[in-house]
Amino acid sequence: MGRYVVRRLLQFIPTVLGAIFLLHYLTSLGIQMTGNPARAIFGDRRPSEAQLQAMSESLGLGDKCLERVGDPCIGLYFDRLSDIFLRFDLGMNFTRRPVTDIIADGLSYTVKIVIIAIIFEILVGITAGVLAGLRSGNFVDYLVKISTVLVISVPVFVLGFLVRDMFLVNVGNSVRSSGNFPDWFAYGLMSPVYKPDYPWASLIIPGLVLGSISLATTARLTRTSILENVRADYVRTGRAKGLSEKRVIGVHTLRNSLIPVVTYLGIDFGALMGGAVVTEGIFGVPGIGREIFRAIAQQQPSVVVGITTALVLVFLVVNLLVDILYAVLDPRIRYD
Amino acid sequence: MKLAATVAALGMLTAACGGSDSDEGSGGSDGGSAGGDLRIYSSEPAFLVPSAGDDEPSILVIRQLYRGLVKYNQEGAPELDIAESIETEDNQTWTVTLKDGYTFTNGEPVDADAFLRAWNYTGNLANSQNNSYFMGRIAGFEDLQKEGVKKNATFSGLKKVDDLTFTIELTQPFSGFESVLGYSGFFPMAQECIDDFDACNKTPIGNGPYKIEGEWENNVQIKLVRNEDYAGEDTGKPDSLTYRIFDDVDAAYAAFEGGELDVMYTVPPNKIGELESTVGDRLLKEPSSSFTYLGLPNYDDRFQDPDLRKALSMAIDRQAIIDAIFDGSLSPATGFVAPNFDGAREGICEACEYDLDAAKELYESTDGLEGPVELWANGGAGHEEWLQAVGDGWKSAFGIDYKLKVDVSDFGQYLEIADNQEFTGPYRLGWGPDYPVMETYLAPLYTTGAPSNNSGYANDEFDQLIKDGDSADSLEDAIPFYQQAEDILVEDMPVIPMWWGLTTVVWSENVAEMVHNPITDVDYGQISMN
Repeated sequence: MGRYVVRRLLQFIPTVLGAIFLLHYLTSLGIQMTGNPARAIFGDRRPSEAQLQAMSESLGLGDKCLERVGDPCIGLYFDRLSDIFLRFDLGMNFTRRPVTDIIADGLSYTVKIVIIAIIFEILVGITAGVLAGLRSGNFVDYLVKISTVLVISVPVFVLGFLVRDMFLVNVGNSVRSSGNFPDWFAYGLMSPVYKPDYPWASLIIPGLVLGSISLATTARLTRTSILENVRADYVRTGRAKGLSEKRVIGVHTLRNSLIPVVTYLGIDFGALMGGAVVTEGIFGVPGIGREIFRAIAQQQPSVVVGITTALVLVFLVVNLLVDILYAVLDPRIRYD
Repeated sequence: MKLAATVAALGMLTAACGGSDSDEGSGGSDGGSAGGDLRIYSSEPAFLVPSAGDDEPSILVIRQLYRGLVKYNQEGAPELDIAESIETEDNQTWTVTLKDGYTFTNGEPVDADAFLRAWNYTGNLANSQNNSYFMGRIAGFEDLQKEGVKKNATFSGLKKVDDLTFTIELTQPFSGFESVLGYSGFFPMAQECIDDFDACNKTPIGNGPYKIEGEWENNVQIKLVRNEDYAGEDTGKPDSLTYRIFDDVDAAYAAFEGGELDVMYTVPPNKIGELESTVGDRLLKEPSSSFTYLGLPNYDDRFQDPDLRKALSMAIDRQAIIDAIFDGSLSPATGFVAPNFDGAREGICEACEYDLDAAKELYESTDGLEGPVELWANGGAGHEEWLQAVGDGWKSAFGIDYKLKVDVSDFGQYLEIADNQEFTGPYRLGWGPDYPVMETYLAPLYTTGAPSNNSGYANDEFDQLIKDGDSADSLEDAIPFYQQAEDILVEDMPVIPMWWGLTTVVWSENVAEMVHNPITDVDYGQISMN
């Protein structure tokens, strides 16, 4: 196991280097094609050559290779790498905020709502899937199937707006004016937007909205997987040798059925990190998704490279954990 | 996209040079009770240091943290603030004397050095501060903006006389200079702030009625508390100001509806109608000073004839476009200067009025245009629709085809095309005033070779009138010159004025008295709460 983990960690290096190069190349190409993003800072007032040059230098956009379309800016790439790996400096955004700060701040919110979303998926999604899978064809099964189709077919921004404007504003206002509820509920959980006074409570609803779509997928995956496994030989063997139903389902079937679900959740964790941008926007959560969206719109190469690299790392680590979990779930899988 | 919006709103007074709103607030410190926590909608500021903050959200915070030489009264005229006196003989050399007793929150005195070091820092190219542009009138600016300038180089035009007195020498006389000094880019800075810019940006060291509590929580909130050591008379009224930061105005509006915010300056346009019926007089609506125009490439042979330019303007039904596309949330331009500026004359631009018959007649008398005319705008910023309406209007009036050129969506790239005068047809651009003097709408945009003169317009007579106005004895004496300059624009029509923006403020029932300044917008520190 230890050697396996070390080998996997070593594989991170080319992945990260490659990702940084790709991002570096694309952001550089973007600047080469559309011109110096520093110009936009001056707005309607035309800067002099010297002013534009000084501003570009201070933002790390001064390299001449950024003016030659197609130039991969290899020099700049290695400068970037040495800044990142030798000095732990990811550069700054256009308002001179270190990218490391942006990532640290943004990730803290995004990780929170993603964790809430994943817990929601695990608790509700897997339970619903198991219930539906075990009682295939009965009421619970139909309920789960129909409700998941419903949730999947509602885009997250529609759901988000509905929850915010109908539930948190309208229902929330009557909850707040009634005065019968504790503050953390009325002003925290029911707050229409993220509220720094209630850093967890006000993120619960955004987390649930974020998790809702993957929840449906999780439930359906679990259901199918359970359906397949309850008919497997080892289940019949277990039952035949007199194991309790609880043990047959709860330990053996479930454990085997969870492998595809865990794979999915691992991928989903990464996807939610970057994909939370819509939910974050609706509920005013100052997360990483919005930061990267803004950085791309404003062509801030250091921010794009920094945040995406951080997301790549998160993705890699989570998937490593998933692979290790396989071995835990299925003893037949060995990593040495 | 966001940057484009902020940049369009660049300049200090981005909005609301609305007339005095006597029924909304007095602006004085009388009446109303002190106390409470005022929760304010804000977008993420760019900087909280006066030398760098040039966008609206930054300035609205900076104005509560810092104070400068002058402030503006309800008529938009400058009034002495930290300055004891500002005197000049010739509008070129100005002597400033400061009031004694002001300090920064770190204990440093607000003396002559505090101003001089701030301006020298701002004007120096080596520091690339966003507000350097505004220092351009001070003598020695050119030297400070040369490549390779030393970091400690200073303006030749700034001289300290004693601790509380200094002189400013301008490159050319400018009668409106006192007004300029009220811009937040001219506010003083502590030495500690210049020594560690980043720390001062995160935890500002101000000299104003409020001071920061904790530090700027980026993208989340900025909390200010009343500065009990503030020496001025207009001390803050609310105990604290909490700027809640939102990326998305709709999310902020939901927060307002849910009782999370007390003041929301800038309401989503599609909510204005709804608010008018629900909140009644807790909504303020005024034309703002942000100017949108359709530039004409005067450097292009086809657009040389002023009559043709006028005819094009007269064929645009501004009000109809505003009603159909913008929910009526803009006011049509009838001149080149914001209607609430001192010296602006309503309806001065005859060719800005929709008159189809006159337009056709005038067009017939010219050589006309050969289609398709290319109409330019930065893409993805919501300009396509109204440009199309303009093009359709020209098509039906003059029978010329048009083509939208909206494929450049990067604002920086779009501005570069403007800088290089590469527009091949009429183009959309905007302008926000730099200071509350009507000259700010004239000189930078139409003087020969001026930095923002994208149309390539050149008229010696106009240039001379601006110069005459700048060197007049006082601002009052200057206005007739500026008006004559505007008259020339009306005749020449170098660009087609389209419309002015709209300032909207809505506040909650917690607010007892709203205080809105025509130049600096909502004065959060002077709002009293229930």
